[in-house]
Amino acid sequence: MRSLVPLLLLATAMSMLTGSDAPISFSLQIRPLLSEKCFSCHGPDATHREAKLRFDDEASAKGERKGGPAIVPRDPAASQVWQRLITSDSDDVMPPPKSHRTLDAAQKSLIKQWIAESAPWGRHWAFEPLLSADGEIGRGAHAIDALVAQGHAAHGLAFAPPADARVLARRLALDLIGLPPTPERADAFAAAFAVDADAAVAGYVDELLASPRYGEHWARMWLDLARYADTKGYEKDLARQMWLYRDWVINALNDDMPFDRFTIEQLAGDLLPDPTREQLIATAFQRNTMTNDEGGIDKEEYRVLAVKDRVDTTGQVWLGLSVGCAKCHSHKYDPISHEDYYRLFAIYNQSADANLWDDSPKLALSSPAQDAERATLEAAVAEAKTALDALRAADPHAVRKDAVVPEDSPQIVAAKKAWQAAKDRLNEHQAGIPSVLVMRELPVDKRRTTHVQVRGNFLNPGAVVQPAVLPLPGFPASAPGMRVDRLALARWLVDAGNPLTPRVMANRIWARLFGTGLVETEEDFGALGSLPSHPLLLDQLARIYRDEGAWSLKHLLRTIAISRTYRQAAVFDAQRLEHDPANRWLSRAGRLRLTAEQLRDQTLCVAGLLSGKIGGPSVMPPQPDGLWHSTYNATTWVNASGEDRYRRALYTYWKRTTPYPSMTAFDAGSREVCQVRRIHTDTPLQALVTLNDPVYLEAAAALAGCVLAQPGDEAKRAERGLRLALIRQVRSEEIAAVVAAYQRAEGSFAMAPDDAQALLKAASARTIAGIPPAEQAAWTVAMSVIINLDEFVSRN
Amino acid sequence: MTTPPPLPAAMTRRHLLGRSGVALGTLAGLAGLTGCDDRQADQEPPAPSDPLAAKPPMIPARATRVIYLHMAGSPSHLDLFEYKPELAKLTGQPCPESLLKGKRFAFIKGVPKMLGSPFSFSQHGQSGQWLSELLPHFATVIDEVAVVRSVITDQFNHAPAQLFLHTGQPRFGYPSLGSWVNYGLGSRNRDLPGFVVLSSGGKTPDAGKSVWGSGFLPSVYQGVQCRTVGEPVLYLSDPPGMSRTLRRGMLDSVQALNRIEHDQVGDPETLTRAAQFELAYRMQTSVPEVMDISKEPKHILDLYGARPGYVAPTDAMGDPRAHYKGDDPTFANNCLLARRLVESGVRFVQLYDWGWDHHGASPGESIDETLPIKCQQIDRAVAALITDLKNRGLLDETLVVWGGEFGRTPMMQNDVRDTLVKGFMGRDHHPYANTMWMAGGGIKPGLALGATDEIGYYITEHPVTIRDLQATILHQLGLNPFRFSYRYQGLDQRLIGPTNEGRVVTELLS
Repeated sequence: MRSLVPLLLLATAMSMLTGSDAPISFSLQIRPLLSEKCFSCHGPDATHREAKLRFDDEASAKGERKGGPAIVPRDPAASQVWQRLITSDSDDVMPPPKSHRTLDAAQKSLIKQWIAESAPWGRHWAFEPLLSADGEIGRGAHAIDALVAQGHAAHGLAFAPPADARVLARRLALDLIGLPPTPERADAFAAAFAVDADAAVAGYVDELLASPRYGEHWARMWLDLARYADTKGYEKDLARQMWLYRDWVINALNDDMPFDRFTIEQLAGDLLPDPTREQLIATAFQRNTMTNDEGGIDKEEYRVLAVKDRVDTTGQVWLGLSVGCAKCHSHKYDPISHEDYYRLFAIYNQSADANLWDDSPKLALSSPAQDAERATLEAAVAEAKTALDALRAADPHAVRKDAVVPEDSPQIVAAKKAWQAAKDRLNEHQAGIPSVLVMRELPVDKRRTTHVQVRGNFLNPGAVVQPAVLPLPGFPASAPGMRVDRLALARWLVDAGNPLTPRVMANRIWARLFGTGLVETEEDFGALGSLPSHPLLLDQLARIYRDEGAWSLKHLLRTIAISRTYRQAAVFDAQRLEHDPANRWLSRAGRLRLTAEQLRDQTLCVAGLLSGKIGGPSVMPPQPDGLWHSTYNATTWVNASGEDRYRRALYTYWKRTTPYPSMTAFDAGSREVCQVRRIHTDTPLQALVTLNDPVYLEAAAALAGCVLAQPGDEAKRAERGLRLALIRQVRSEEIAAVVAAYQRAEGSFAMAPDDAQALLKAASARTIAGIPPAEQAAWTVAMSVIINLDEFVSRN
Repeated sequence: MTTPPPLPAAMTRRHLLGRSGVALGTLAGLAGLTGCDDRQADQEPPAPSDPLAAKPPMIPARATRVIYLHMAGSPSHLDLFEYKPELAKLTGQPCPESLLKGKRFAFIKGVPKMLGSPFSFSQHGQSGQWLSELLPHFATVIDEVAVVRSVITDQFNHAPAQLFLHTGQPRFGYPSLGSWVNYGLGSRNRDLPGFVVLSSGGKTPDAGKSVWGSGFLPSVYQGVQCRTVGEPVLYLSDPPGMSRTLRRGMLDSVQALNRIEHDQVGDPETLTRAAQFELAYRMQTSVPEVMDISKEPKHILDLYGARPGYVAPTDAMGDPRAHYKGDDPTFANNCLLARRLVESGVRFVQLYDWGWDHHGASPGESIDETLPIKCQQIDRAVAALITDLKNRGLLDETLVVWGGEFGRTPMMQNDVRDTLVKGFMGRDHHPYANTMWMAGGGIKPGLALGATDEIGYYITEHPVTIRDLQATILHQLGLNPFRFSYRYQGLDQRLIGPTNEGRVVTELLS
């Protein structure tokens, strides 16, 4: 049931790439077809291979066989492939009918033309080195626009006009720091934009990228990949401390740590020479795997599962490959054998963690002051013990078993009490010192032997394998004779000879800004993933990221953000809806629903409630009672008071079996495993959150407080509310609609003053001197109207 | 120049969704989306952009809806369904070495003692099926159900076994059965969620919300947990002081402003979202209505043993097991709710009842004392559900499934004490044999399928794997289990997994 669209897209992508008369591209047009239609029986997986024929291997596909070679270059008629495709004999026809795979006429003719053109061979497109666009397209943002324009030309499309300055100001702020600007900042931007648009955008983008809010915003995406959570997962789902790692990610992003270093420190910080405390914290990335505390489990089984999760996550985050498929059998479509999987597994198989109750190894992080305090407390314990011992020594019978009476003596009882109290103080102090789970290699004599696990079953060991990176075609290999450890793996992932990592990351960033990646299947760059809509643009972005910016994420974001492509208006005219409905050709700006985190943060921000506090332990903003009912886990959710009610969403305590409900409603996952992209949905449960969740109601009341502080009539207040929320200038009919909403509510509350009081109480509204409750409640309803607008939950 | 249709590659043609950026078939006007109050199932033409719109089955369907009763923790097949006089004779004898060799147990250590059932068994109904004395009401409907005495799994810990059963994989990240069905068939009632989850026993299942999660499917297909205490759906109620008139007026303002925006920008997604707000508004009425069992006549409440408005004190307890009462009506209330929900067109109703993990290691988890209490909580209700569905003509098209995630050992669990003490008789997890039953939805009534050896340890006839069970459920709903798939990570992912081990158990079908 697979859509044929990627291949059709490719036909046009290729004509863009090389001109319409260009020869067929094996990597982008033929191989995907062979992969989808033929590889399951004639591909990399030897156990399911039919007729010893493989189309992932040129020698096999073109080699001599009984009945003639499958492919004879320049001679379709002599090629068995062509004959078997067009035969009407149901026994001979390929693919066989029972496979439910068929080729349409256009696909068949593509194969024929390719054979006629001498059937040139190559690798899967994503394994090929980065393509170079020709010199004429320029550099930086100009190159992006030139390549997008080529796509437009091929489809009779054009750039949309530039977005309105204030709309752009909101878009840039939401995209780069996850929060909207104030209307005043947007006005200033608009004024500068009118004078010199390019300079205004560049200056504004730099300002946003320098904000500490930037790291908080982009951490969200990385924390989904890192499956960051505050609990261990599985049945008991007990708490663990990982927030130090979350703060490490925020800081690394704010410092614009180059992605190669970002990679190496997280995967192998502990293996660097003289690792710093920060580099050790970074390794918590791979300790975000779950720990199963259920009674009666085989701990080794869950240790192995955690190691597999690390392998799978590495494949997903850096390579965009579903490496995990090779756990049980060789990958059917990508060149990853069953053995390759366990060679990669072997790299991760030497870490000391073992699904232990205490989640060790951990790193406790005390400040110098805390160290000093601990020394004092330890001394106090020793002193109390000495005092006790002295008392006991004074009594010659005391240490004997039968010395019942002296142990009961008032002095000894008091001394024991004092000793216990000192110990309690020390324990309490220790419990208050944050610690984080880290990676640590086993000592050489304790290293594990890694076997292939037959059918993925750890109780069924096969051959012994040595650690090695994946032997992807054209990629650098593990250096012979060298021990391949996590550090070697991390360096290989960001090696200049690996084109996948920069492609995958650049595509991921693009998708966050445009809604869809150039490769739509962000999680799969393998043979069955979708093909890039703009192969040259993808590779150009990868170059901007890796080469031009030396792995600077801020550089990549800045380059995209100043491009004409990004600065277009979100225009949905008939022409574009017909010819570019999904915006694959980028003929307008992406219009995106805000993420769960953006929506909460934006709402609190425009209402003036948002706390600016960065980092620290996770917090528990209000959620409905009775949601936490984990088995054998007595931890409770206690609604935060004060500032912690209003922290940014990424600081919300993330319990894997019961994530925060409004996050789940807006498509956040559970963080049990790596999540590459959130599929956005549109549901009535989302409407119920923004209508009725007390968090959103409280924000409406706070926003009402802001507009009531505004002097002037109802229209002025309505306008202020609209502008605070939507940032752009507003139309008179919009003001009229909000005034009408206010008046209707005010009329209703005037008749039912108790209702007004009840609503204000539910909204935790602050009393405003001189404002009647009916009026305040009515403005709360009017502001709730604005918070529930499609435009408010979207980014135009 | 022909332009390719806007199909996202990760989705199959048949299941084109109203995702952001995806064009809608028609641009319905806002007026047409509001004020709909027709709650008749299968009546309304689906909105073209609605990912939950009812979809036709792939193959002829025998069932249109499912009620799945999961006893989380896993009841003992040996004390409810499997009459094993030979095992009773062996009680107290050491377990033969041959049964222990190469086996992994959750808690059993060394050589445990064999343990016969302390309960008496007798045959029931035309079909003459053996049942223990703990299920007297269920015995009266035994001729309506097919008992599968030969279910086998390959997981022996709760969370992985529950995940395997409900998502097809023992790991996290895969869609649950209910969300697959919701995705494949859509909802029959636009005013209610298509997949509803109800829980009892004071705790959620061991594997948490993932057993009704949507995995890699869009989250719109995940189960909606309807709570019987507090608001049935989170944030369903308007805040205090917000009258229905005011809410309607407030929504009219929202929609008026959305219309202005749509006139300016023209994004079809604006209309989709506007429609979701209208659905939310209708749900505010329809959900409390369907969740209100106090509307049921007394004879129906009595049939189930339901008590409207009951709040189980055990819900607030850290460990409720030692405090279970046999007359706690929470599960009965949920069974009655399940009937009301399917009657209103909900596609898939999933009940979880926690507290069936009878190890005998600590108070409140024994075969001899706790199991009878748990059976008392469900026995009348389960029988009533079958009877009620049948009386209403709903059973034919409603597939009812009952079971735990694995069976329990014929040996006594011995890690805490290895002698029999009252209130501490327990059995360990046992993946090699288990009993489940199904009814309605094209399942052969009065059937006993499969058998175990004379001590209930191994299956001797007709093994039914978890994959077989999943394939059979999908098949009954008109979803070809081998072809029903969703493209993710480059593969056509299926509930029954990547291999073709699963089969439709045709012996079960009428």
